[in-house]
This record gives sequence, structure tokens and C-alpha cells, in this order.
Amino acid sequence: MVAAVYRKSIAELTRRRARSWFAVCTLALAVGSIGLFAMPTLIGRSMQAQVASQRLPNLTVSTAPLKLSDTQLARLAALPNVEAVQPRAYFMTQVYVGQRRAPAYVLGIPNLANQRVDVVQLQSGSLPQSGQVLTEAQNSLHGLFSGDTGALARVVAANGGVQSARVTGTGENLNAGRDVISNNTIVLYATPATVDRLSGVQGYNSLAFRLRDTGSAAVAATTQAIRAQLRQVPGFTGFSDLPTVRTASEWPGKSDFNKFVDFFYVVTVLALLSALVLISNTMTTLVAEQTSEISVMKAIGAKRRQIGMVYVRTAFLLGGVGTLIGLALGIALSNVLVRYLGTTFFAINVGFGVDATVLGASIALGLAGPVLAALPAIRRATRVNVREALQATGSTVGGLDATDRLLRRIRFVPRTAQIGLRNLGRRKRRNLATALMVGLAVGNLLAVVGLATAISNAAHASWRDHGEDVKISDTGIRPLDTQAARLIRSVPGVARIEPMFTANTRFAGHDAVVWSVKSRTMFRYHITQGAWFSPAQERSRARVVVVQQSIANLTGTKLGQDIRLQTAGGPVTMHVIGIASNQQEFGTAVYVPVTTMHQILGPTAAAGDDYWVQTTSHNHAFIDRTTTKIEDTLAAHGYPVASEIEYVGEANDVASFQTLTTTIAVIGSLIVAISLIALANAMTMSILERTRETGILRNIGARARDIRRIFATEGIAVAIIGWALGIPIGYALDLLLVWLVHHVVHAQITLAFPAQNLALALVATILLAGIVILAPLRRATYLKPGDALRYA
Amino acid sequence: MASSSLTQPVPPASAAATHLIELVGVEKAYRMGRVSYPALRGVDLTVDSGELVAVVGPSGSGKTTILNLVTGIDRPSAGTVEVDGQRLDAMNEEALAMWRGASVGIVFQFFQLLPTLSAVENAMLPLDFARRGSARERYQRALHNLELVGLAGKADHLPAELSGGEQQRVAIARALACDPKLVVGDEPTGNLDTQTAGEMFELFARLNAEGKTVLYVTHDPELAARAHRVVTIRDGVVVAA
Repeated sequence: MVAAVYRKSIAELTRRRARSWFAVCTLALAVGSIGLFAMPTLIGRSMQAQVASQRLPNLTVSTAPLKLSDTQLARLAALPNVEAVQPRAYFMTQVYVGQRRAPAYVLGIPNLANQRVDVVQLQSGSLPQSGQVLTEAQNSLHGLFSGDTGALARVVAANGGVQSARVTGTGENLNAGRDVISNNTIVLYATPATVDRLSGVQGYNSLAFRLRDTGSAAVAATTQAIRAQLRQVPGFTGFSDLPTVRTASEWPGKSDFNKFVDFFYVVTVLALLSALVLISNTMTTLVAEQTSEISVMKAIGAKRRQIGMVYVRTAFLLGGVGTLIGLALGIALSNVLVRYLGTTFFAINVGFGVDATVLGASIALGLAGPVLAALPAIRRATRVNVREALQATGSTVGGLDATDRLLRRIRFVPRTAQIGLRNLGRRKRRNLATALMVGLAVGNLLAVVGLATAISNAAHASWRDHGEDVKISDTGIRPLDTQAARLIRSVPGVARIEPMFTANTRFAGHDAVVWSVKSRTMFRYHITQGAWFSPAQERSRARVVVVQQSIANLTGTKLGQDIRLQTAGGPVTMHVIGIASNQQEFGTAVYVPVTTMHQILGPTAAAGDDYWVQTTSHNHAFIDRTTTKIEDTLAAHGYPVASEIEYVGEANDVASFQTLTTTIAVIGSLIVAISLIALANAMTMSILERTRETGILRNIGARARDIRRIFATEGIAVAIIGWALGIPIGYALDLLLVWLVHHVVHAQITLAFPAQNLALALVATILLAGIVILAPLRRATYLKPGDALRYA
Repeated sequence: MASSSLTQPVPPASAAATHLIELVGVEKAYRMGRVSYPALRGVDLTVDSGELVAVVGPSGSGKTTILNLVTGIDRPSAGTVEVDGQRLDAMNEEALAMWRGASVGIVFQFFQLLPTLSAVENAMLPLDFARRGSARERYQRALHNLELVGLAGKADHLPAELSGGEQQRVAIARALACDPKLVVGDEPTGNLDTQTAGEMFELFARLNAEGKTVLYVTHDPELAARAHRVVTIRDGVVVAA
């Protein structure tokens, strides 16, 4: 036989089923939101498995094309600390997608069936033979190139002609997949012979190494040993870019993912906070409603502890059910999100997984949360005066304090609306908590939209600084020399050209990108301190640099300071003559005179530049046509080139930022869901509590629409108060997110909090509030007066 | 007195109606979960205009059920309920709400005032719902009714600032808002001390003297004895009328 107090604990759950469900749903959302913290572990785990199976390189060096014999490769493989080496031949080109030419590269890999480093895994079809290609799985997933097995890929060769290669299947590689996603570049895999035929040049231009020791000293020593070994190869003039190093725990896109996760955590913590407030509110209502019953129990001899335990057990039971549902929700949500993020941003199919730590934390919060949230209310309720509680009829509660007096002054609205507004004062704490949750949701959305606007503004601004309409780059086959420059200038529609090139660098422990540009440039720089380099400095190849504000802040670089840049030509000391507020390369660019960089990098860079081209019209179709003419003209003269049209790049950038902010907003919608549950909960509670009152109103002539107006006014008023609270919350959160962008992503963005968003948020809040209170309102208007009067 | 736009009650549907209230063969059963229990088992009852009728009987005998049927709060399981020529059992909830607001004033044991409205606002609420007259006329009417019950001086007080007796006076003023022919009280003095209960009954008697039909439920034999007629209910049937 179960003791009566235990039965009462269970009965509390079934007695108000709607409220129990609200509480369970809220708990499930809270517990489910904790599940999102499992994402880094899940994606990290899958990535590490993929890194291991694809044997990703620890060190990658790039050079001009080198003909490496098996003996020379064996010597490289036998160097101390080298576990394995894989030579590759990259050919930057374009592939026809219908009638359009899209940027692409073909990766020539020797012995595809037995790759040792940076393995391309065959997903479907068969490995390509000479004249055939394998398409990277991400090409079709991201809609760049949908060539199925058996289709023909039309690849632009170095001589400008088009060579067709049969697609034999689909391959997968993390690094190449990231190139597809991040750079919108089509990737095809082939044999070195195929690449030789396309490029017209024999040899490998990239070497990938797996190392035994990935410590920085060991990597530096190995790099030196590789450089020394390659010096014995005819044609080696040095590395064409800084060697790329990957430490043991790193995977492609990990730093980007971690940055993203920081934003994501802010939103998740807010969701969790909203859920906890809602749980506390629900538990308080549950206990407060029982005041007269608690008095009855006290009157017949129950001790405070015994009464308290009735509700503690109820809270625990609610927690148990909520936790069970929440665990399932959290596991499903984190796996769905990780799978989406994996395929959208990181070129990986993440398998199903569970993080034991997060699971434990979810269970702990799910079971303890409701009990802890209920304790203050239980404490208050068990200390209630028995006589007063037993005699309370509830009809004279409320209406006496300053808020009530203020609400009574609102007399210009219909009586039903007045009653609704005045009812706000009757459950102040609950209404305020509900409004706060609505405020958190509104604030979260305002902040995310504000952040998206700020990032979009920054992206547009960064592209606006580009004076060129198109950038023409060599593909590593033949550098663009002065003859190529003359050819570009001769193309009808070209107004102005300017040489430039970019190179990777590191300084003060951070990666950066050197933009080698002219002193008088079409690039729109914005100097905040010091000056841009002068023609005299350019002529004298002065070792001067202009540093962007973000990377200067990150590295602690000051105007007038000397900094040491690591370059492919070795370390070099440069004098900082200016700080610029531009945002190129996500804030990591530094600007050096093009002549100075030629001197620093030596023959690999001195041979040729990229070219910025301004066209005579900024019409997009005109730019497209002129670009095609430039490509064809140069190809006809033996200069295979790649082109980057600025308006296309800007659109791609903005679209990728939108994907990111949309993802954060989707996660933020958890808060919206919680706040809507809170609002529906509060309205249901109000309607339940005032069932008798509704009956009285019906008895003195109130029609269904009068009742509807009373409660709708109350619900909408709570939502509007929530919206008002959401404005400062949103502004503060927007400031926090912008601060995070500054300190985590190291990009300078200007806070954006558009006023029109406030109006849109108000309309959305009222609409959503109107929708969620429909069901409780229906209950209120369909109550039969007799039933309402008998309601207890 | 207030303007005629406030005082026009709904006219009787049938000019031939002789009784204000007529219950014929009324049965009422309530369902409580899986159990159904009969509250009234075939009640025939008539009340004429201008009568002052007390309904008495032990707890659970069906007194309040009769009141609920007469005011359209509940519907009979069988039989017909006709008040002022209107067949209440044939009307829908919305029509009943409007009819109640216009034709009947109800006074409850626990007053049931809206706690956030002042005395005068409570007293004018039925007029607001019935959309009768202008806002000013409604206010004047409510104030007039508060004067009738002796509470004009506390028109702006909230229920929490009034005593039990004063709250019940406001409830009576509210019941009179639309100048109904019928005033119904469900143990209107049950929550008041003897002296206040006596004063309250005087008020009912005065309303009756002014032409209103008054029907009230009471446990108090003294108050019941002061009615023109006493209807006794026991186990869901009228044993004396």
C-alpha cells in the first residue's frame, strides 16, 4: 500500500495535466539545450577519425613544379622525423559548368591506389586512369559541379584549349573538401600524367609530409632538412609559400569551428537561463496554488518537512520525465546540428555520437533543477498562516500597490482591456518572469540580426575597398610577366591594371597575409595612424609595412615599431609606418611595397605578379565578358590564368556569413520556443486561476469576445513588456557578440542595431504571442458558467 | 433615475406568459468523473412577478441547482425552464450570457467582485458588457445604485478596502446595474454577521417592494421566514412550495 503523501505527490502531476506538460516540455528543452554542448566533442571525435583514416599531413610545402625521381622521393621519406611523403601536382584552372567557366583545380596524385599521406578516399566508382578524373564529393554537395560517374568534365588547359576528362567516380579528402566549401573552387583528382597534359608542365608543386614529432622545433628542423634536400633537385628556387604546419590534434577548420562554438555557447547559455527561469516560475505556481491544501495538511498535523517532501517528490518526478525526453531531444538535436555543420562547413559526414560528460550534466540538471527551483516556493508555502490560508477566498487579492495604481490610470481603453491590463498586477512575479523570457528571446534575435547586419556591413565594406573589378592570377605554370601585363592592357574594356600579389606570413605568433601593392594603388586604404608607403619608399624597396588595426591589436603591434615577419624567403624585419582600419583577409592583412616583397621572396615571386584590373564599365555582364576576353587572350599566348571577379566574391562572402548567422539564429530559436511555452504557460495558469472569475463575468453578462479580450490584452501586454525588456537585453547581447568578434575572431566590426528591427520584432512578438495564447483563450471562452463556478 | 437607454430590459417573448419563472419536469444530473449523481429529480416550480421567494433545504438538496437553472448558469438534463417568457434550455451560451446581463441580477455568497476594479467600476461592469448607454450614463447609473445600497462614499474603493458587508452591497449594486426584473441570491448573507445579514435582507425586501422579483437561497430559518413564500427542497425534489 502506498502512503497517502506519496500518492499526493503523483496526484499533483495528473491533477493539472496541462501545467505538468508545460513543465515537462520546459525541462526537456533545458536538458536538450545542454546536449548542444556535446557538439565540439562529437565533431572533434569524427574529425580525428577522419584525420587518422585520411592520414592528413603535418607539414606541406609548395614549390615551383619539380621533377622528383623515386630516389629523390625516397631520400625525402628517409629524412629524420619524416614518416611518409606524398608528392602532388596542383593545376589551377577552370571547369565548364554548362556554358560558364568556374574556378577549379586538378590535383595530380601518383599511385592513387596506394597513397601514403593526405589520402583521397574513393567514395564511389573507380580510380581514374590517365585522361580521367575523380570528382570531390563536396563539388556536388555544394552545387558547384554535379558531374556524375561517366559524365565528361570539360577542363580548360594551360594553352586555353578545352580537354574533356571522363569522371570515374567520387572521392573525398578533408583539405580539398574545405577548399570547395571555403573558396567555391571545384576540385578534381587525377593522375600526374593527366595534370601534366593539362598544364603542359611536368613535375610536382606540393609535397605533403607526415611527421613523427610535430613539436615546433622538430618541424622547423625537418623543414630545413627538406629545403636542403630539395636544393639538390634541379629547378628548386625555394618554397613558393610558407610551409603549412598541422599539429597532432588539429583538423581543417578547427579554429573556425571553435570560434563559431563561442558564439553558439552564448546563445545556448541564454536558452538554458530562460528554461531555468521558466522551471522556477512553473514550480512556484504549482506550489503557490496549493496554499489552501497546505493549510489543510498543516491543520491535520502535517509537519513542514512532510509537506515540503510532497512537492519535492513532485518536482523530482517532473524532472525525471523532463530529463528522459530532454536527453532524447539533446542527443537528437546535437547530432542533427553536428551533421549539418559537418557537411555545410567542414566537408565531413559526422556519425552518431553521445558525449558521456554532457549526458551526465544533463541528467544532473534535469533531476536537480526542478527540485532546487521549487525549494523557495515550498519554503514560503509551508510557512503560511493556517487560519488566513483556510479563510482566503481569493476575491480580494491584488490591486493595492503602486503598479496597480498606475495600471488603474489607464482608462482610455475599453473596460475589458482595462481588466486585462489590471490583471497584470495580480501575479507580478510570474508576469515579470514571463516578460523577461520573452525579452530574452526578443533580445537574442535582435542581437543575432544585429550581428549579421554588422558582419554583412563589414563584408561589404571590405569589398568596397577593392578598386578592381577582377583579379587575374597565374596558375603556377607560367608567371605573369611584363608581356602578360601588356596583353591584359590591350584587351578592349580594360581601363587600368595594377600588379600585386599576396603571400602567407607569420608574425608575433599569428598567421597573417602580406599584400604586396603599389604606393599609388587602386586599393582604398584607410590609414588611422602614420602613413601609407611613398613612391620613394617603393623605389628604394624600403622594409616598411602598414599593419591592419585588428592584427595590430592582436599582436600588440604599435606604429613605429619593428616587426619580424616569417616569409617563404626567410625571416625579415620590417618597420611599421602605418596602421590601417581595412578588414582584408578577416583583418589579418599587412601591406608591403610590391618591390620590397619581390626582393624579400627572391626569384619565386620576382618572376610575376597577379593583376588587379579595372574595367571601363562596372556592369556585371560587361565585367564577365571582359574577364573571359582577358583569360582567352592570355591563354592564347601561353599564360594560363585564374580570375576572381570581385562582385562574385562579395556575393559568396555575404552568402557564407548569412549561413553562419542563420545557424546561430536557428539555435537561438530555442529561446523563442522556451519563451513561447512560458507565455502559453502563464496564460494557461492565469485562465485556470481565474476560472471562477470567468464564470462570474459570464454570469453578469460577459460574452465570449469580452472574456477573450480580457485575457488577450493580458497576454499581449506581457509580450509587449517582454519586447520592451528585449531592447536593452538585445543591445547588451549585441555588444557582447561584437566584443566576441573582436576578441575571438579578431575582426573589426561596427555595432549595428537597426531601429527598423525593433518595429519588426514588435510585430513578430505580438503575432507569435497572439498565436500561442489562442489555445488557452479558447479554453476560457468555452467554459460553461456552471462548471466555472464549481471549479476548485 | 438614469436615462431610459439604460433601463430597458429585454421584453418578454410571450405576452401570454403568466409566471415570471416556470420550471416544468426539470431534472438535472451532474457527472463527476465516471459517476453521475442526480441533483434534481423532476421539479415543477413557478414564481410570479413581484414575489419574494426563499429556497431552503439541507446541503446537497439541490437549492443552488435550481438557482443555476433559473439564471441559465446550468442547463436541465430534462424538462423546461422558462423565465420572463424565454425558454432558457433552448438558448445557446452566448445568448444566455447576454440575457443574464440584461434580465437578471445575481448576488453570490462570496461577493465575487473583481479585485482590480473599484466599487463603481464593479457596479457598472454589466452595463459595459451590455453596451448600454454612454460611458457617462453607465457611471451615473452605477453611482446611483451604490447610493441605493449606501455606498456612494466608497465608490472609488477597491474590494480589498471594503468590509464583507460593504462588498456584498457592491455586489447588489452590480446586480441592479441593468435594472433586471429578477434578482437572485445564492446564500447572499451566508458570509456576513447577523446584523449585516439583517441589513442586507432589508435591501432585498426594499427591492421587492419596488417591484423586483427576488429569489434567494438561505440556510437561515429567520431570513427564510421573512419571504412571501418558502420553497423547500429535499433530495432533489420540491417537498413544499
